[in-house]
Amino acid sequence: MIDFFIGLFLASLIVALFTTRLYRLLLWYSLNSFTLGLLALGIGRKIDDDAMIITGIATLIIKAVGIPYVLKNFSQKFHLVRQITPEIKVQYAIMLVPAILVFTFYLSEPIVHMIHTNANYVAISISSLFLSLVLMMEHKNVAPKIIGFLCMENALFLLGITATQGMPMLVELGIFFDLLMAIVVMNLLFHKEGVKA
Amino acid sequence: MKLLLLLLPAVIMFGVSFIKNNKAKYLLAFSSLIILLPIVELFLLPKPYAILSSYLVADKLDTYVLLVSSIVGIGVTLALLTLDKHVQISTQAYRRFYRFFAIFWVGLIFSILANHMGIYWIGLELATLSTVYMIKTNTTPAAHKEAWNYMIVGAIAISLVLFGIILMYASAKPILGEDAMRFDLLVSHAKEIQSSFLFEIGFALTTVGMFVKMGFFPMNLWLANIERASFYPVAALFSGILESAVIVGFFRFSKVAMAINYDHLFVFVFVYTILTIFIVSFLIYRAKDFMRLFSLSGIEHMALIVLFWVSGAPFAALLHFGAHAFLKPALFLSTGVLESNGKYKIAGALRGYKGKKGTLFWFLVSLFLLAIISLPPSPMFFSELYGFGAMITTAKASDYMLAMIAAVLFLLVLLSIIFYRFVAIYQSMKYEGKTEEKQLYSSELVALVLFAVALVGLLFPQTLDFLKTIA
Repeated sequence: MIDFFIGLFLASLIVALFTTRLYRLLLWYSLNSFTLGLLALGIGRKIDDDAMIITGIATLIIKAVGIPYVLKNFSQKFHLVRQITPEIKVQYAIMLVPAILVFTFYLSEPIVHMIHTNANYVAISISSLFLSLVLMMEHKNVAPKIIGFLCMENALFLLGITATQGMPMLVELGIFFDLLMAIVVMNLLFHKEGVKA
Repeated sequence: MKLLLLLLPAVIMFGVSFIKNNKAKYLLAFSSLIILLPIVELFLLPKPYAILSSYLVADKLDTYVLLVSSIVGIGVTLALLTLDKHVQISTQAYRRFYRFFAIFWVGLIFSILANHMGIYWIGLELATLSTVYMIKTNTTPAAHKEAWNYMIVGAIAISLVLFGIILMYASAKPILGEDAMRFDLLVSHAKEIQSSFLFEIGFALTTVGMFVKMGFFPMNLWLANIERASFYPVAALFSGILESAVIVGFFRFSKVAMAINYDHLFVFVFVYTILTIFIVSFLIYRAKDFMRLFSLSGIEHMALIVLFWVSGAPFAALLHFGAHAFLKPALFLSTGVLESNGKYKIAGALRGYKGKKGTLFWFLVSLFLLAIISLPPSPMFFSELYGFGAMITTAKASDYMLAMIAAVLFLLVLLSIIFYRFVAIYQSMKYEGKTEEKQLYSSELVALVLFAVALVGLLFPQTLDFLKTIA
């Protein structure tokens, strides 16, 4: 089941790279976060880690529901551009995605030998990190760049779950707090930007 | 209790920023002044002092950094009193600036005092996010663009730092469990870490993230552009406080990396910093305004601090760090007056000051300008002397003596380019251009005097002895 969710996590990120509408991109981000939350719950239950189960629940509430909802509200409130065409053409992106996946599996080869649990997941989280960077780079508009940043944060969260079997609870909660702070700052920036975005 | 005392001034500042009275700005400056009290008290306590269990521990290094940062904070708030006289800023934006300055300060206290990689990251992220709005207090389209730019590039940099922290934590978790986040335990158990390769990959990623935040190669201009677009106190906060928090993290991470494999760390950082200084020296040569000039010079000095630290000269690194933390904000704050007649008017910028206040101003700015290029008796002169000496001493113990001498000579050539440019600019400021009268206010002069006194304080034998004990 965990394999299925991690596949879904990667798939939702890949699809997000080809999305041309903002709301749909939010939907893919929400699905990405949803699978991440379920992964945390699944792995947390498997290794009997209460802290990871709590962070899994927090991920589902904050990232899968809360942040997409707030960002959708922002886009309506500040009239953000909803047609978001990626700068990288589809035919090149189709070649780029598998290249990144192969490259990261090759890159993480020495690392996966050192991590005995969920070794392949580490490679997937690193490739997700690169794919999120591509998402940030391929758009000129601010909104998809923010979603790229949030996806990158998801990839790091996945790395934390898989490579270390969960980071200390305090750190996980701190990261959530910073994420909320980022949303507050984005609100202020959008507020000044108004209809120009 | 100590933590509450440390956070109290920031909480007061946050609360006062909601008062809609014009006189509240004096209260805001005063609240930054009381930041110094708990830090001085912390400074006098025996070290290491546990502030919050093993998560926040005050040792000599972080109390020194915190003290330097608090002095810079006071100087910046003094200059902020007259910000509206030099630039257009609404009272609402001014109060909000302070609100985010309070959050920034909380983040810094956590990151500087952290004995825990995770808490260090959380504090740094909080400080980074709070500065985004400070950039936005300037309402120009350029500032707006740069605020987003800072948000996105800063987020990428900070994500790289977290990526590295996760890998380092993964490498040490088998031997230390959840305590693998603690810096003190990591240093003492560094030799026991089985997956040293994993740790080094993590360290490299974290270092690159921190270097990007400080404007090292390949992101040499992003910080300069942001500082140009924002109001000058923001640049002073960046160079004097935020970069201090970043560099203190580098010091802590590198201590562990040194214990694991010193050669790998040295070669990686050495090549990176020399490449950075190489590019920055030519960018400085082409700089046409004060902000970019000072910002690029900041990158050069941060690269030197990092280089001295890994070359086995922590004393030189800390002395250079202290001097840079006082000099650069002083120069950034003085741009508010220097650019009175336009951004690109370097010629004659040091002319047109009348009275005792004016004379003191141009004298202090001249002093800072010449001190930043390490003219004796600037503390930077001594730190560079010690630093380059340490590089040669380190090379003596290796097989690369000739390569190191060549590298030091190359560095000296690059520093000469920077020296030449600064001297040319100083001469242009003082002896060229028209004499146009400029307005100067007491609070900004007091800020500059504060930085000058702090700079002199660095040269006291007691301070130097204290720095040697940290090293």
